[in-house]
Amino acid sequence: MSTNTAPTGHPKQPPELEAEPFGDSALMFRARSDDAGVRRAVAGRLRDLLLGMRPYGMVDVVAGVESLLLEFDCLAVSHGQLAQTVRLAAAGADWDGLLSGAAAAPPRAHFVIPMVVSEEYSPDLPGVAEELGMSPEAVLAAFASSTLTINLLAAAMAPMMGGVKFPGQVSRCREPRTNVEPGSVMVAGTNAIIQPFPGPSGWKVIGRTPVTICDIREDPATSYLPGDTVRFEVVPESEWQGLEGTFLRAATADQPAADSDAARQPGSAL
Amino acid sequence: MTAIDEHPVSLTVHEAGWLSTFQDLGREDSEALGVPCGGAADQLSAATANILAGNGRKAALLEIMGGRFSFTPERDVLCAVTGVPADITVNGDPVPMWEPLCLPAGARVVIANAKGGMRNYLAFSGHLDTPRFMGSAAPEARMGFPQQITAGQRILLRTRYRGFTHPYLDQPLFRLPVPVPDFNPAVWTIDVVDGPETGRTPGIRKLLESSHYTVGPRSNHVGLRLDGPVVHPEGLGEIVSHGVPIGAFEIPHGDELIILGRSRTLTAGYPIVAIAAKASLPMLGQASPGRKMTFRWVGNEQAVEAYREQQRGLALLEERVRAVFGAVGLPHAALPAPAA
Repeated sequence: MSTNTAPTGHPKQPPELEAEPFGDSALMFRARSDDAGVRRAVAGRLRDLLLGMRPYGMVDVVAGVESLLLEFDCLAVSHGQLAQTVRLAAAGADWDGLLSGAAAAPPRAHFVIPMVVSEEYSPDLPGVAEELGMSPEAVLAAFASSTLTINLLAAAMAPMMGGVKFPGQVSRCREPRTNVEPGSVMVAGTNAIIQPFPGPSGWKVIGRTPVTICDIREDPATSYLPGDTVRFEVVPESEWQGLEGTFLRAATADQPAADSDAARQPGSAL
Repeated sequence: MTAIDEHPVSLTVHEAGWLSTFQDLGREDSEALGVPCGGAADQLSAATANILAGNGRKAALLEIMGGRFSFTPERDVLCAVTGVPADITVNGDPVPMWEPLCLPAGARVVIANAKGGMRNYLAFSGHLDTPRFMGSAAPEARMGFPQQITAGQRILLRTRYRGFTHPYLDQPLFRLPVPVPDFNPAVWTIDVVDGPETGRTPGIRKLLESSHYTVGPRSNHVGLRLDGPVVHPEGLGEIVSHGVPIGAFEIPHGDELIILGRSRTLTAGYPIVAIAAKASLPMLGQASPGRKMTFRWVGNEQAVEAYREQQRGLALLEERVRAVFGAVGLPHAALPAPAA
């Protein structure tokens, strides 16, 4: 994972994990840390670790922003047994190289996503600019120059990305919209997300991509996974028609920004 | 897996009810990718329908939500109907739910007048031909996978069943130990265990166990919205987006109680004041608008024990169906086809 999503989140020691029962068949794991960056980094690494090792009794994992929900078969294991297994696995894991090492993480892919900005597609851009004290053009320039990392896939496989180089935090909409068009590019805090399917959202809409990021007729339905990197490219509206409906695939020629490149291990490039 | 001796049978749907879909027990390993497991809201009835049809529990089946559903198989088929009490007829003659049914070719089968809850499950011996998304036939409407069945549709079934020469319809074929849920009480009692914010929500324990709640009309597969008294916890910090188990009780900012269903996604900002016990989830999956319910606090151990009991009942039924079907030569997913 590139350092820009979690500036402080690089634990070299095994983190101390809280394991809280969430009903009779789930445990919530969080790193015991005052640092949100550490909690975020640990949640992501723990997800990869558990998906790789599949502790006995595991049914599925749900990655949150700073936590990991582990759902299990309560007839196969108890809360206590599973919490111990996960702690033992975490203690034995390589926390320094877990994501970049060969153990669990596949090579990272990089995506360049075209985005159209217009009055219709960017209803919240003026408000975001005002909140950040910048011009709309400067907001877009900062956004497009950021190399984002997909931290998790949220509802309907929406890529939730961290690492937007805004000088401050963007607030959420006071009243969430009941429906946001698919392809909408949205920001909140210093995170970004793309709406894959129609649905409600309280994030600020600053653009729209003509490409299809998730299509269940494709297998897999998205080309991206957590840990992949993304850069947005503002394109003129005239390019919309030519790109509309194209299924998003990883870039082959685009060079990721230097800071993210430096974080990569040799051999993990595309 | 396709058995060599399977043959295709077409089922013609005449009436599709209010909403009927292909269904199964849901997706596996999908939630790490942001796709909810989905699947039959009443897992117990769905699994039982498949067991009674001689299938594996996870086989695709039909979920019928209200209205009048009718169909005709072009050849003999074996099926089973489970879920809330409903009227089932074959060529106008009433037949029982919760039993294997041997349907003759050309029969008109009607499922109607469901009462007391939301869902009926209709399983057929064999494999239903249906699209799958991430390995499952369960609908995921938001992502463009509605799986809805329409009037006039012809559903293809591949089955090893070739009819059964035995008096049928007016008497049960087998005496099977079917654990039929009791949907009759006027007020359903749902077991719950502590949630992460239970302790920080003073009064919630007393409130949930002593009040009646009514399922509201805006309820769906994402969550049941209940009308009834709530209290809001105080002094909670920001709750960032996190995963939630099925059956989590959330109190949003308004005076409403939400019980999350199988199509829930990440949640943020709302306290979780209770979580339904796993053994109670099938009943919650049947709750329709207007349904009254109350709650009973149990410990995690007690909740696991209730679920173990429920699963033991299913396993016993599964074993008996396999033995009976094997003895009389009916096809069963766990038994090899006899040599020709």
